[in-house]
Amino acid sequence: MVPLYIGSTGGYTGKSLVSMGIGYKLKKDGFIISYMKPVGILPIKVNNILTDNDAWRIYRSLELNDPLSEICPVVLTQELALKSYLKDVKGLLTKVVKSFNLLSKDKDIMLIGGYGSIYTGSFLGLQGIRVIKRLQAKAVIVVKYEGEYIIDYILQARKDLGDRFIGVILNRVTEEYKQSAEEYAVPFLKRKGVAVIGVVPHDSIVGSITVEELNEMLGGKVLCCHHRLGNLVEHFLIGAMQVDKATEYFKRTRNNAVIVGGDRSDIQLSAIESGSICLILTGELYPGEIIISRSEQKDIPIIVVREDTYTIAKKLEKLSIRLRLRDKAKVARGMDLVMQNVDFRLLYEKLGIKIGQ
Amino acid sequence: MLDNFFNPKSVAVIGASRKPGKVGYDILKNIIQYDYQGAIYPVNPSASEILGLKAYPSILDVPDKIDLALIVVPPKSVLETIEQCGKKGIDVSIIITAGFRESGLEGAKLENNLMKKAKESGVRFIGPNCLGLIDTHSRLNASFAAGMPAKGSIGFFSQSGAICLAVLDRALPEGIGFSKFISMGNKADISDTEIMLALAEDDNTKVILGYIEGISDGRKFLEVASQISKKKPLIILKAGITSSGAKAASSHTGALAGREAAFDAAFKQSGVIRAHTLNELFNYALAFANQPLPLGPNVVIVTNSGGPGILAADACDKAGLQLIPLHKEIVDELRTFLSPVASFYNPIDILGDSGSDRYEKALKAVLKDERINALIVLLTPTAVVDVDVTAMAIVNISNIIDRPVLTSFMGKKTVESGIKKLMQYNVPNYSYPEEAVSALYAMYLYNVWIKRQEKTYLELEGLKEKAEEIFSKVKEERRERLTETEVHEVLHAYGFSLPKSLFARTSEEAVTAAKKIGYPVVMKIFSPQIIHKSDIGGVRINLNNKKDVENAFFDITTHIRNIMPAAHIYGVMIQEMIRDGKEIIMGITRDTQFGHMIMFGLGGIYVEVMKDISFRIVPLSREDVHEMIRETKTFPLLRGVRGEAEADIEAIEESLLILSQMAEDFPQILEADINPLLVKKRGEGVVAIDARFTVGGE
Repeated sequence: MVPLYIGSTGGYTGKSLVSMGIGYKLKKDGFIISYMKPVGILPIKVNNILTDNDAWRIYRSLELNDPLSEICPVVLTQELALKSYLKDVKGLLTKVVKSFNLLSKDKDIMLIGGYGSIYTGSFLGLQGIRVIKRLQAKAVIVVKYEGEYIIDYILQARKDLGDRFIGVILNRVTEEYKQSAEEYAVPFLKRKGVAVIGVVPHDSIVGSITVEELNEMLGGKVLCCHHRLGNLVEHFLIGAMQVDKATEYFKRTRNNAVIVGGDRSDIQLSAIESGSICLILTGELYPGEIIISRSEQKDIPIIVVREDTYTIAKKLEKLSIRLRLRDKAKVARGMDLVMQNVDFRLLYEKLGIKIGQ
Repeated sequence: MLDNFFNPKSVAVIGASRKPGKVGYDILKNIIQYDYQGAIYPVNPSASEILGLKAYPSILDVPDKIDLALIVVPPKSVLETIEQCGKKGIDVSIIITAGFRESGLEGAKLENNLMKKAKESGVRFIGPNCLGLIDTHSRLNASFAAGMPAKGSIGFFSQSGAICLAVLDRALPEGIGFSKFISMGNKADISDTEIMLALAEDDNTKVILGYIEGISDGRKFLEVASQISKKKPLIILKAGITSSGAKAASSHTGALAGREAAFDAAFKQSGVIRAHTLNELFNYALAFANQPLPLGPNVVIVTNSGGPGILAADACDKAGLQLIPLHKEIVDELRTFLSPVASFYNPIDILGDSGSDRYEKALKAVLKDERINALIVLLTPTAVVDVDVTAMAIVNISNIIDRPVLTSFMGKKTVESGIKKLMQYNVPNYSYPEEAVSALYAMYLYNVWIKRQEKTYLELEGLKEKAEEIFSKVKEERRERLTETEVHEVLHAYGFSLPKSLFARTSEEAVTAAKKIGYPVVMKIFSPQIIHKSDIGGVRINLNNKKDVENAFFDITTHIRNIMPAAHIYGVMIQEMIRDGKEIIMGITRDTQFGHMIMFGLGGIYVEVMKDISFRIVPLSREDVHEMIRETKTFPLLRGVRGEAEADIEAIEESLLILSQMAEDFPQILEADINPLLVKKRGEGVVAIDARFTVGGE
């Protein structure tokens, strides 16, 4: 049995999607696998079992049969956070090891998903590095490539993990960084002896969010087109320009949601007419009947939120870096990306496994 | 002192011109032409004589005393002119010259300097950027308007010169008389309130009419208007109410247009009769100037055709005027001379074949019913009716009764001469029946207003002290918002009931708290970053047992951690669940012109959509709160529908009065909301469930 830890040097780099993709491929290649997430930060109760939302989604998508209660042994609830503030909570690492032993029995590969970065978790005595060493796992580091500082992080992680470190996956590489990654980062890392296991491009669909999630995050009210809450928003635009410029601006961007003051009916109309897929009206100002009926005709949901446009835009900026794996279409697309862009031959070689053995 | 504006013994026109078409010429000509009786001194450095009068190079060269200076010089010379007026010992002036605040930044600077200079020189002024003024009794037409209105009892002031001209142009052919006519311009010195007071004291003025776009001192306006409205009807058209209207107002005379809610409340509280259109302004003025007030809501309508009668009846019904059926004896009398197919019940339709004699007989008959407070006569120009004779019959009847008579002779050509007669003898005529009804209704409301008892206020002592410490702490820490605990303390200090509540950090503590309070309970997230808790799923209600509380704790905290990772969660508040009450909302806001206002509305989640709310300006009287609650459309819900118990309306009234007191005690309150405030059954009081306070901008 080989334990494989998918870690990172920062939060929200796409570890879950990479775990899902690697797990799927391993299964397809005939390996018997299991999955665990030592520390979960998205508590959820499934059939009254406390677990982590992302872990549960991976568990389901990999069609695992192991006991769900073991998949995520430590879930960071408000209660646990408060208890660790007030006094040291002991025995959490033991609990993780126990679950690991139980799940990894009779398996070829044991996938382990990190939370946050390999440096976080000390708060609970469960720092990623400590868990990796204790479980004697091999670690793949997933980073979001954004320039030199990421290279620094990778080199530091290799130093800190020693021989546990087997390579890196550059994930969510945007169009702007693509050339830099290919021409500079990858050759550099190879020269330094760091195995680059994959370079996965950024994808706006994978980075999208449904109108329903959006509404929940913003604490808004949906005014119409409830049947279109599944619309996937890929981009956000702010409607603060003169109306004659608006249409052109909105039309340039695919699947956009327009953030606009509730009293700017001119901008709202031009967003509706130029194919936006969601309107976010700020300032708790409700639109006129004309706007509502027009967006009903065009099936464009409207969300009314309390905050002003700037605050909402700020919130959305934060939100875009911590998207979750919820929507089926998104997951399928993301898995495809992982399949196509991860060098599984290299990965298997580093793990010391072969297909058909 | 203001008397010198209207009744000066001598007038100087500084900037008088020899060229017809120049403002400096037209003004001088108006003064001479309309037979002003005092001395007139044209001032022009390059003329020795204008329009047959000796001209002086400077005001300082005039040997005699001057009461009023009219200034028509170019803007850059106005300051110097004012200074000279001061030296000459002139107390008051009218600055006609434009090119000040209304024209941009430079103009605004010039206007500020003008104000300073005038103060130093001891000269008060109307304007700048105005049309001038007219006093029909002293026969002074110190304006460049075309024409002079007839002598009358309407005193009119307007911020817009153009509106002045339009009003005058309509008044001239219709023979509508004015006492005084004042174009206010930019109101840099003499304000609306000063003119209103002058008109209130003027014996020749019976009705005060005003057109305003913005006012500078809302409080003063409120005070003066309340004082005047008890003496004389004060009818005001306020423009710049809607947001697009407001845009035009700020670029017009540069006035800051006030918010609709604030003006609406101010007018209601001070007894101002509000006209919504220029037409209404005219219509009301005519009724108030020429007819006595109706002492009650009972109206009789006499008409020679069915359609207009029904329209008038509908309008009465909508407004709340009553069409009571007449006494049987009167109906019997009508039967003696009306055709059996006529309508004997109010509205009285005397049919299309009526001549003036039948009108006269019918009117005399219906007025025998002493319950009738007002009469509306409608006339459609049939071939049989003699319009002029009928008009005179109505005039004669109107002259001998002390109840108002309003008419609507419909049409144009045929009725023209009849209408002239009516107007000439002080019977106002309206183009359409609805207009007559609306004017009559305004008169009725005004009568209710002047008959109303003096306002009474609730005496609340010693509440302020307890809350003072909290507000000064907020100020010291330079915060804008009061914490939840502080809000509770303030409300408690002012005697509001609050639900029992306890803080809990963990689900165990939450369960203990719930037990202490007693099930069912409400759970709310407690985090300084979260203000609108229910918006983001931070509130759970109706938790009935330990399991409910544990689940709610997990759900709320997990949900908030997920969607607002940056928010620090201290824990939750466990609150007593108050049932069986109606949700209302009340609060304090601060208007830039009128200061604090109190808001009331039916609450719940639909408040922002329905916007069924009412406002009054602080301090609120008992009468104000009584009205503002009843003015909302949803008020009947508080009374109880379909067998529901009545809500504790008295407790709501008292709470509004307390809020008014709080706003007076703490001027720094920018906004406060108690939402929801749960009203229980009559006698059981109210409970403040949630509230927010913002301070600042003192």
